[in-house]
Amino acid sequence: MSFGSVLRRGVLAGVSAGLAAAAVIWLVVEPVIRRALAVEDARSLHGGQSAPLVLHAHGDGEPLVSRAAQVVGGAVTSVLVGIAVGVIFAVVFARLHERLPGRGDFGRSMVLAAVAFSAVSLLPAVKIPSNPPAVGDPATVGRRTLLYAVVLLLGVAIALVVPMLDRWIAGRGTAAPTRWALDTVAVVVLVALVLLLVPGSPDTVPADVPAALLWDFRLASLAQLAVMWLTLGLVFGLLMERAAAPRRSGDVEQAGPFAAVSA
Amino acid sequence: MATAASAPAVPSTTPIVTPIRVPVWAWLLLACAVFTLYFLSQENGALLSAPAAQMLHELTHDARHALGVPCH
Repeated sequence: MSFGSVLRRGVLAGVSAGLAAAAVIWLVVEPVIRRALAVEDARSLHGGQSAPLVLHAHGDGEPLVSRAAQVVGGAVTSVLVGIAVGVIFAVVFARLHERLPGRGDFGRSMVLAAVAFSAVSLLPAVKIPSNPPAVGDPATVGRRTLLYAVVLLLGVAIALVVPMLDRWIAGRGTAAPTRWALDTVAVVVLVALVLLLVPGSPDTVPADVPAALLWDFRLASLAQLAVMWLTLGLVFGLLMERAAAPRRSGDVEQAGPFAAVSA
Repeated sequence: MATAASAPAVPSTTPIVTPIRVPVWAWLLLACAVFTLYFLSQENGALLSAPAAQMLHELTHDARHALGVPCH
């Protein structure tokens, strides 16, 4: 299979993932954002717009972008993010193809999506949790962004190091269950080290933000990310399987042999 | 997370999986995609002029919050 056809599948899966994520934003995240904006409004902070970042010369209580435009903008952004993630996913999948575990390309796609979600979405979300509008001190956004990026990169590093460890243990002829147990322990120890050693967000949550609102928003944010990765893994995996299907006429049922044919 | 990499999914007779050749331009494309993600999720004036960055921030605002990236 050529890289171009893998890439096309990645883009298509990315569009699907972005649309699914946009649906979750619209149905699940936006209602919570509205609750958070009500808190901001109660503070009479520039009419529900997000806090000023670079410039707020427009003032006059006139929002730069209307709420409706922000909702549409959020959906468009979500689809664009989906496409970019789909492209990255396709390149990484092609590069690691023969080394990814999983039965067939569908299994490999789901494994890669699950690892990616854990490394670049779940781990940063656990260390630097997402915040609704009305939470977040603009003065610390640089520091929080840096910490977020560090945790994300450490997540990627763990996802790269543990398979290397796995191969090293396998090379020593250790029994498979022992190897899996050691891999699991390695992941737990490395994740615990990241969570313990990297400093957390310096912000305190303002007293007028209810705990339930914060919890609902963080859960909604994780739901959106999970749906994005799940859709990406499912659609990409199905498209890859479909590509292999016409060659699946023989007596073998694993994907390997056809992959060899379709090179 | 990476425990998945060691899942017992490999059948007893491991099938030969042919590598997919990744051309050099694919890595440039990957860099563009990473840049796009940065642009959509974090660009707040490092590259754009202040009014343009403010506009971008407001338009991507809801998705930035939903994606969990520090926003403001």
